[in-house]
Amino acid sequence: MKRVPIVAALGLVMAGCASAPPDTRPRTPPAQPSPQSGQTQPLPPSQRQAPPEADRSRPAASRPSREPAATRKPAPPQQAAAVSSPAVMSLMGRADTLASGGHMDDAAATLERALDLEPRNAFIYQRLAAVRLAQGQPGQAEQLARKSNSVAGDNPFVEADNWKLIAEARRTAGDAKGASAASSKAVNYERATSQYSQ
Amino acid sequence: MARQSKKKTTAASGARPRRSLTRRLLPYLLLIATAGAAVLALYMAHLDHQVRSKFEGTRWKLPAKVYASPLELYAGQDVSEKELITRLRRQGYRRAATIDETGTYNASGAGLALHTRDFQFWNGAQPDRKLRLGFDANGVSSLEAVDGKGDPALIRLDPQLIGSIYPNKGTDRILVKLGEVPPMLPAGLITVEDRHFMSNWGISPRGILRAAIADIKAGAIVQGGSTLTQQLVKNFYLDNQQTLSRKGKEALMAILLDAHYSKEEILEAYLNEVYLGQDGSRAIHGFGLASYFYFQKPVQELQPSEIALLVAMVKGPSYYNPRRHPERARKRRDLVLNMFHEAGFLKDDAWQAAKAKGLGVTSTAARGNTQYPAFIDLVKRQLKGQYKVEDLTEEGLRIFTTLNPTVQAVAQTRVAEGLSRVEQQRGIEADSLESAAVVTSVEGANVLALVGGREQGYAGFNRALDAERQIGSLMKPVDYLTAMMQPAKFNPITPLDDSPLAVKLATGKTWRPGNYSNRSHGENVPAYYALEHSLNIASSRLSLAVGIPNIIDTLDKLGYEGEAPAVPSLALGSVSMSPLEVAQIYNTIATGGYYTPLRAIKDVTTREGEPLNRYPLKLTQTVDAGPAYITTWMMERVARYGTGAGMYSIIDRSKTMAGKTGTTNNLRDAWFAGFGGNRLGVVWVGRDDNDSANLTGATGALPIWSHIMADINTRGIIDTPPDSITQVPLQLIFDPDAANQGAGTNPNRWFANGQNCSNAVKVPFIKGFVPQGLLNCDTDIMRVNAQQNQPAGDRGRAPRDQNNDQGSWFERIF
Repeated sequence: MKRVPIVAALGLVMAGCASAPPDTRPRTPPAQPSPQSGQTQPLPPSQRQAPPEADRSRPAASRPSREPAATRKPAPPQQAAAVSSPAVMSLMGRADTLASGGHMDDAAATLERALDLEPRNAFIYQRLAAVRLAQGQPGQAEQLARKSNSVAGDNPFVEADNWKLIAEARRTAGDAKGASAASSKAVNYERATSQYSQ
Repeated sequence: MARQSKKKTTAASGARPRRSLTRRLLPYLLLIATAGAAVLALYMAHLDHQVRSKFEGTRWKLPAKVYASPLELYAGQDVSEKELITRLRRQGYRRAATIDETGTYNASGAGLALHTRDFQFWNGAQPDRKLRLGFDANGVSSLEAVDGKGDPALIRLDPQLIGSIYPNKGTDRILVKLGEVPPMLPAGLITVEDRHFMSNWGISPRGILRAAIADIKAGAIVQGGSTLTQQLVKNFYLDNQQTLSRKGKEALMAILLDAHYSKEEILEAYLNEVYLGQDGSRAIHGFGLASYFYFQKPVQELQPSEIALLVAMVKGPSYYNPRRHPERARKRRDLVLNMFHEAGFLKDDAWQAAKAKGLGVTSTAARGNTQYPAFIDLVKRQLKGQYKVEDLTEEGLRIFTTLNPTVQAVAQTRVAEGLSRVEQQRGIEADSLESAAVVTSVEGANVLALVGGREQGYAGFNRALDAERQIGSLMKPVDYLTAMMQPAKFNPITPLDDSPLAVKLATGKTWRPGNYSNRSHGENVPAYYALEHSLNIASSRLSLAVGIPNIIDTLDKLGYEGEAPAVPSLALGSVSMSPLEVAQIYNTIATGGYYTPLRAIKDVTTREGEPLNRYPLKLTQTVDAGPAYITTWMMERVARYGTGAGMYSIIDRSKTMAGKTGTTNNLRDAWFAGFGGNRLGVVWVGRDDNDSANLTGATGALPIWSHIMADINTRGIIDTPPDSITQVPLQLIFDPDAANQGAGTNPNRWFANGQNCSNAVKVPFIKGFVPQGLLNCDTDIMRVNAQQNQPAGDRGRAPRDQNNDQGSWFERIF
């Protein structure tokens, strides 16, 4: 039982660390392996909660005359390195090494040390979530992934990963329905990332 | 230690009877002598057993050692060179021409060279490093190795030892090995205390003779004449009585000890056992701890003048207490330095240099337990139930805490200063006020500082934990937060009625909340304004509409563990809390609704550094991000424009802070609780006898809070609206004192520019719950918005179902 999330969570940790361009990142979504999630593939529920529409659902903030297409925002950071200090990157690197060596407690503690340095760095929370998932703590994993979302700002890249993690956490906890809801959120955020691809 | 078992029989039962046997030939004398020898032999055997079992069996009881959180050094750290040096000095680092030794630094214009100490952290050993740090206006700008071992991205300074957990009236010590202390220490001890230590048998007949003469002259026992071995015996095995029989026993035991154990073993035991001072009820034993107690550094780093002082103090630690009797101590230290010089282990120039030095002891402010009694108290309480008392007081555990010594020092200073200042300014009797303060890290919920009272180092009543006082208006953010959880009914501009209110209570009494200003602000006060200015009546109405049980539920979600009374006056804070409890509930708001139990401890390890217990970060979203965001936004307005605005005479205006004042009936309690991006503070000011302090939150607590937050470089709040929030630019014009509540005689002028208003403020609403028809650039007065005479079609005021909300917005965009 425990093996799947460990592998998946580690995959996430490592993927976050990889320096490959985002498009070529190996992204077998951890949402897929479970057969149940296939049943909820039809997308109607997800379309209603489609996060990308978040932009458009803020009409009061934007002037009616404006073309939404004209307001293309700069792409949010997709890699921890884009927003993290060398000190934090060093700690995250150390944590990755510890995690892949199976030293989850030490990895978590190292990530907490990084959080003390940058307490609102979404990437650190995300990795801590992955470590907790690997440790068989799906509840904390989900909370940390949510926290990551809450400090990520408008960053569909980070949010997509977090929702994948949440889906995995829920599946681990035996919440298939919740898992597929999270998966479809992940899909939507992933779709939202396309607005930034040239 | 193997040899002593063989020696035992010869030393104790063998030698003496044989000697007495040769004395006289007369049978009866022989008989008596034999009997006496047998008794003595038995007694010696008994003593011998005592000596050996204690010496070998004694594992010293080692109180748990408590460490502050280590300072992380890295490029980008916002610590100035000056602050870093202060911190280094507090930890006993010394300025030196070269940084060859650990615990030294050198500031030379081009940055700071530093030789850190090695330290056994919870996750392994960190070796000592030689580093160079560069600084710019933001703090540390570069960190490079100068030991050729590669540049570290970051490195932890060894954490400051902030105290021990010892039993009441207990002894405390840090064990050292003979091989790791500076050689001058044992050599100096021998020179000063027991010149013939290496050759004597544990006693010194000449010394005893000298002492005996002195005693006979005085008619009492006044002089010891003790060898180091005798002193050790005295400390180790015997109580403090000075009787002749005890002296004899001491001598015999010293001989036995010397017979069984090597000089090195005895010396090492002495180094760890000798009494060297008193810290309240804690007895300081051994040079290992004394080195920290007086110089805040490991014994390895002691300099000749410091070694001489400690050796000097052996003769009488309280008589020669360098903190209390510096001149006396200095005189004896110099005497000891002279002896060092004569004995040849201090050359002329080093001897002169050492004598020229001051005593160098850290101030009373920087010593062990008495510096942080309130925080250590919190640590003990958090450990309680998880460890047995003996584990904590005897096993030498290492406890790594969240205390930030810099923040603690600031908080303590600002509390003391602030109370004196406000007493003076307001003609309040000097020293009549008391205070408590808590500072946390917001994210991570680390307790960084805890002040239990104005008198530093006084381990009395810990107000931060135990002073349960009514929280007054500190409650209001909880009221408004609960309201924002009901977005269909409440939002930041919901008009609230501030006219006089009377509520019949179940008790038959009538509750009539009044405003601090004793006046009403009308029947249409926007909610944000009522919080901004802490209006009691409007807030009471809001709370009654929200439901007191719902507010209690929110308190629970925020982490309050007490029982809040389910009465209307709860809305205005008729619940008593300690400053720490307030910090907990505010911290949950500050994190955007993620409850994280406040932590004072991060790790506990064994003496050897083996991890025993971790206290990991655990967070749970207990309050939705949207309501928490709106509440924080309103508290930011309290800080900017409301009752907390005084903070910006002290704090940099560019920083967004959030907070709330609290004042209780008859001005008994003055509170301020608030936060920036990375620090949260709670300050309480009042009197221990619960009389009126004659202070409001803004006059009594806010200045202290502001100074603390400014001094510790609190960052501003970073605006990250959650997904559930939508922001509407509105013109916030409400002013109860102005014509037409701020709308003026021609309210239409507010709408003249259509949806183009540069003076607008982005007001947050829960998505889907923007009031029907509210448009960009409307005002915060719903009555005025409704009255304005533009064609309804233009304003889109057609009634809409809230569920259609998004749909209609889309229509407008496209």
